[in-house]
Amino acid sequence: MTVVALHTQALVLPEAATYLDLLGRSLHAARLSSAFPERRPLQQSLETLAESLRLGLHGELYVDSRAGLPNLASFTRPLTDKSVARESLARMGDRAALEARAGEAELFARLAAKHAYYEKLQDRELAPVDHQRVLLRRHDPASGTAAFRIELTKLDASGVYVRLQIELTQVSSLWRRKVIDLDKDGETAAASEAFRAMVYRCADLDAEALFIRLHGAEGVSVERVQRGVIGPVLFAVPTGSGVQVVRTAEAPDDALGREWHAWSVGPGAAEHERPELLAAFATDSAAIDIREERSNDPISPLLRDRLRDQEQARYRALRERYPFKVFKDRKFVATPGLKTVAHALCASAGTKNMIYALQIG
Amino acid sequence: MSSKANLDVLSRQVAYSGEGISVKSLETDIQKERTIQDNKVEELKVLRERNVSIQTAMAEELKKLRKFSDYLNGTATKGGFWAGFKEVLSYIPGLGSMSMSQRSIEELLKAQYQISARRVKEAAEYVDTLKQSEQDLYKEIDRINVRIVEMAKNEREALNYVLELKTLQEQLEAEEQAVEAGSVEQRDIQANIDKVRAKLAEHSTNVQLYGSAEERYARLKENTRKLAETIRNLAQDIQQYTTASSIKLDMASAQIQAIGRAADASTVMLEMKRSLDVMTESMNVTTQFVSDTQIFFRSNLDTLIKELDTFDENTTSVLEENLRKSKEIEEARIQAAIDKAVKRAAAPASPSSAPAAS
Repeated sequence: MTVVALHTQALVLPEAATYLDLLGRSLHAARLSSAFPERRPLQQSLETLAESLRLGLHGELYVDSRAGLPNLASFTRPLTDKSVARESLARMGDRAALEARAGEAELFARLAAKHAYYEKLQDRELAPVDHQRVLLRRHDPASGTAAFRIELTKLDASGVYVRLQIELTQVSSLWRRKVIDLDKDGETAAASEAFRAMVYRCADLDAEALFIRLHGAEGVSVERVQRGVIGPVLFAVPTGSGVQVVRTAEAPDDALGREWHAWSVGPGAAEHERPELLAAFATDSAAIDIREERSNDPISPLLRDRLRDQEQARYRALRERYPFKVFKDRKFVATPGLKTVAHALCASAGTKNMIYALQIG
Repeated sequence: MSSKANLDVLSRQVAYSGEGISVKSLETDIQKERTIQDNKVEELKVLRERNVSIQTAMAEELKKLRKFSDYLNGTATKGGFWAGFKEVLSYIPGLGSMSMSQRSIEELLKAQYQISARRVKEAAEYVDTLKQSEQDLYKEIDRINVRIVEMAKNEREALNYVLELKTLQEQLEAEEQAVEAGSVEQRDIQANIDKVRAKLAEHSTNVQLYGSAEERYARLKENTRKLAETIRNLAQDIQQYTTASSIKLDMASAQIQAIGRAADASTVMLEMKRSLDVMTESMNVTTQFVSDTQIFFRSNLDTLIKELDTFDENTTSVLEENLRKSKEIEEARIQAAIDKAVKRAAAPASPSSAPAAS
């Protein structure tokens, strides 16, 4: 276990490459819908990180030791590299000239490789640390209503990667000076700073809490709140020597974490050769068009099922004021060794979840 | 009568290496090398300008972070914490008119983190540029060294040949004394002495040219070496500072996120300050770097340019001296020809001295 700073785990080659490869492939295997952060930019960020490590541009890969995903520093690196790529390429000159001098000094071989890395990086769409936008769904000047969708992609402070989508409608007499502003032609929209900040701050709330929080805003009628969460990711990667295994250092303290811990000290303890990875992908929706309130998420039951008896009456009264229902789900991608962990977790929670296989190397 | 002196010396080819030398070719070669140096100095000048802009940007960011830190510490809050914090936000581009409640601190800190990471990266990127320049200059030194050795060898060749010619000249002059004045033998010896003189003029010029070329290349090498060392030191300094800054930023990223979220919940302000202190420390290191390199540039680059200017003057004076000497030799040769022509015109015609019919 290599925790180098608060919730920060450092992986080096070759473990880091194995981890990035498994994580990248798990995103593909998970068949992510539009509810989740976009897969392609995230995969391209992971590929860029792997390449920068291979070229020695960076020495370590920093991973959030709770969520098992690359942390803020790692997410930022490819973005920073991309932002300086154009200027650096102009200074480096022609790649063929650098390659021709490769035999002259180690520097030129390294610069030629870096040149290729920057060239490739220029065309890549990378995963953002934060990205929020407002899309206009409908605008009816006659009735004075406008419907919007707010999308926020965020590397959450808990270490997971989240996409939050909120669909809402505003009444015209209010929306011009309130939550969302339309431009003069009525075609594009932008959230007010206060509303934008509120959405950002509340992104780690579950869909139910967020629906209630936003529905309370003046002039706003929320129709859907949907969260797609990538993570946590649990991994066990043998080190280059094959004797030790690097594992997610601070697994969550929940049913998944407990099953993982049991595996780590049980069947997983003897595994020193094969890398293993288990990734969780959760969706959490609160919407007016959901028919049945239900959670198929083995680690996140409905709020009503978690409340004590004395709180139930107050909760029911609160819910009666809002017309939505909640649906939660979670799917997993697991290597052969960790499939048992996912199965045990779902069996113990009584949920039926998709568990996709992730083949090793 | 045949000469006892070894006249083969006159027909011997002197083994100079390279493409031959003249005042003009030497001037062109030296100028070529000087251009390479000038280009590197220009690169350094551009870097100095860039350094100033990075320093300014760094200072601005440091100011923002220090303000954050100060206000969180409660040391600069005349109008209360939130009033102070609004002022802090006014330092962030685009946030001047916004109130505290209108922006997530977590988002703000993450954005600041990304800007800081970019600044450090920008500075670090110059290390490669400098290392590339350093390699170019060391390659240039290798090339100059080859030229120096070549010039030294050629000078030695020229000197040896001049000595041989001198010996031959003395022998021929001694022989001339022994033969009858105005005889065919004397005319023949004199013809050979003239050949020796012409050769002496040519190769003594070469002695001077190769000798001065060797010296000038040696001076050029010394300046190139100084330039390479300057660049290497600068690259090492930048690498040291940016590596330290980068590590500190990496280590602070999780704290920045965690504390940002905590600050958004209006809690744990002390923790936030601690996190910012870590970030400020990183900024301090980077600012220290730009400050130091600024001094480095001021104290080194200007001196270096001055030295190069001096060297430029030296080169010019050496070239002028060569030109002057060449001109003298040329004038002496012309004068000798005139003297001979005048003397021949004054003397009575002699069958032995008449030119052979072709």
